[in-house]
Amino acid sequence: MKLTMTSALAGLTLALALSTATFAADIKIGVLVPTTGGQASYGQDMANAVQLAMDELNKAGGGNTYSMVVGDDGCDPQQAVNAATKLASSGIAGVVGGYCSGATIPTLKIFGDAKLPFIITAANSTKLIPANPGNAFMINSTGNDQVAKAIDVWKAKGVKSLAIVNEGDAYSQDLATLAQKSFTEGGGTVADFETVNHGEQDFSSVVTKIKAANPDAVFWTAYDDDGGPFIKQLREGGYQGAIYVGDGSTSTNLLKLAGDASEGVFAFSSPTAEFLPDAKAFADAYQAKFNVAPSSYGPLTYDGMKLLADAISKAGGTDSAKVIDALSKEDYKGLAGEISFRPDHTLARSNFIVIEAKGGAWALAQ
Amino acid sequence: MTLTTILLQQLVNGLVLGSFYALVALGYTMVFGVVKLLNFAHGDLYMVGAFIGLLALSLVAGAVGTSWVGVGLAILLSMLAVGFFGVFIERIAYAPMLKAPRLSILITALAVSLVLQNGVLSLTGGQVMPFSPKLGFAGINLGDIFINYKQIALAGAAAVLMLALELFVSRTQYGRAMRAVSVDKDMSELMGIDVNRIIAVTFFVGTALAAAAGTMAGAYYGSIWYFMGFLIGLKAFTAAVIGGIGSIPGAMLGGLVLGLLESFGTQIPGIGSAWKDVFSFSVLILVLVFKPTGLLGKSEQERM
Repeated sequence: MKLTMTSALAGLTLALALSTATFAADIKIGVLVPTTGGQASYGQDMANAVQLAMDELNKAGGGNTYSMVVGDDGCDPQQAVNAATKLASSGIAGVVGGYCSGATIPTLKIFGDAKLPFIITAANSTKLIPANPGNAFMINSTGNDQVAKAIDVWKAKGVKSLAIVNEGDAYSQDLATLAQKSFTEGGGTVADFETVNHGEQDFSSVVTKIKAANPDAVFWTAYDDDGGPFIKQLREGGYQGAIYVGDGSTSTNLLKLAGDASEGVFAFSSPTAEFLPDAKAFADAYQAKFNVAPSSYGPLTYDGMKLLADAISKAGGTDSAKVIDALSKEDYKGLAGEISFRPDHTLARSNFIVIEAKGGAWALAQ
Repeated sequence: MTLTTILLQQLVNGLVLGSFYALVALGYTMVFGVVKLLNFAHGDLYMVGAFIGLLALSLVAGAVGTSWVGVGLAILLSMLAVGFFGVFIERIAYAPMLKAPRLSILITALAVSLVLQNGVLSLTGGQVMPFSPKLGFAGINLGDIFINYKQIALAGAAAVLMLALELFVSRTQYGRAMRAVSVDKDMSELMGIDVNRIIAVTFFVGTALAAAAGTMAGAYYGSIWYFMGFLIGLKAFTAAVIGGIGSIPGAMLGGLVLGLLESFGTQIPGIGSAWKDVFSFSVLILVLVFKPTGLLGKSEQERM
């Protein structure tokens, strides 16, 4: 361990000294993820994805040799500050990761002060956007993007009237009001806007109201545990239009709870490996190396690492100002789609995908 | 859909929802009538009833399938098992507290509620479990009004159970003893009534009704989880208070009134689904202001 540290440090010195040259360099990348606590499995998945990307980069040659330093944020803002401070002083050239939005926000200033490029691969709260000092790039789409994707889909499918149902919590209500606003601005009619209680199983009165309003589509913005029964009752009540659910309801549990009624339900989902045609090789390599299937944010984090490496090679070295500049001009094709950034460093194009329930499983919608 | 058909459909919705509230409210009101205890664990017994019902359904599925007969059998088994479980809880948690101050037994009830919730949480891992009997989507279309067979069966079963309870309380010896205990426990004891036995019977019947409601709710809504009893416990308590706590016809009426208030509240412009609970609880407050004993409750006269 000590030996690799020394060699890595030596490599870094070399890299700094020869940063403009095309010489081979050893580059350390910080990975900020929770590896302890309730979200540890997601954090480990992201670290694995970075490792896989590094292995491929190192094998492909191209000059630079990458290695990673993991900082455990524990999905806790305080612990994240400590982890980020430690990472910032360990000679890294950039950071990949960020799973919990709450834990990622306070690290933005630390990495900003250290002038480190930071690719945020999972955290997607809209609160990250104003807190970004300019060094961070978000490659997971935000709630705004989910709605933008939804509006596009509805426009394409000729949905002119919509019923929106949420549960009054921060997540589902934000998504619902955002969708209501955008859909109305786009010339559509929100025929019905309903709020139900979490855990209340009877949706019959809301179903009757929706049926009476007879919208082209119904959009459920809350989580899967109530979404399943809601879909079931909607179909049993005789509603025959299209049903859409948000990214909180993309689990297979939703399909089990809704039973036969789930057939043909559409969901907006973050890009996960099983639905990305280009991610097959990634998923296979991941399975072979770590003996588990990649979970939700594996492909995005893999993209994040490759993106950073791409920017470093375009910048001709690890000079942070040049790398950040290269990142903001990036036009990279990753597993999860094209990555280029808006001036606020969020994804220029939504990476949300649309999946459809078929025979009790999710499949990519056409 | 015209306004009339919408309102008729909401009437159907309200009656079905009200049947659940009424069945659970009956247990609250019976226990309160006999031992003057607000059994806050009652909603959780409804939840336990749903899980036992699911277990029973999987046991009988091999013999009779998971259609109407299977579900009916599961309801009966769950009523029986959870009824005895209710008596067991009464014996170990409430019986030692009957002579203690009222507050102690109330807190015991809260503790039992937590034990049941967390027990099921750890047994099931907090997962929402699908409860999917093969009852189909079929139903009757009356113009634009759609009533599926499940709703009819459910309201029918609730009516039968309530009728049976009414006959039990008014016509049998146990029923008479139960009424006597609720009027005056000490005097009943002096008249030779085995009060402990009557309390046990009360818990059995009340809990069995909650278990029936739980199993029916599971089969009707299609999913069950450890926290499902909380909200309905609260609502059923409200129903019992609207009807007049301690009164059996009051609990039935209160349940139906609350179910109808909620379904029509959703339909009223300016209230809608977001405000329907505010609407129905406002009605509760009005009832308590103008008739503190509830719709069918009798006022108690304290003699000084």
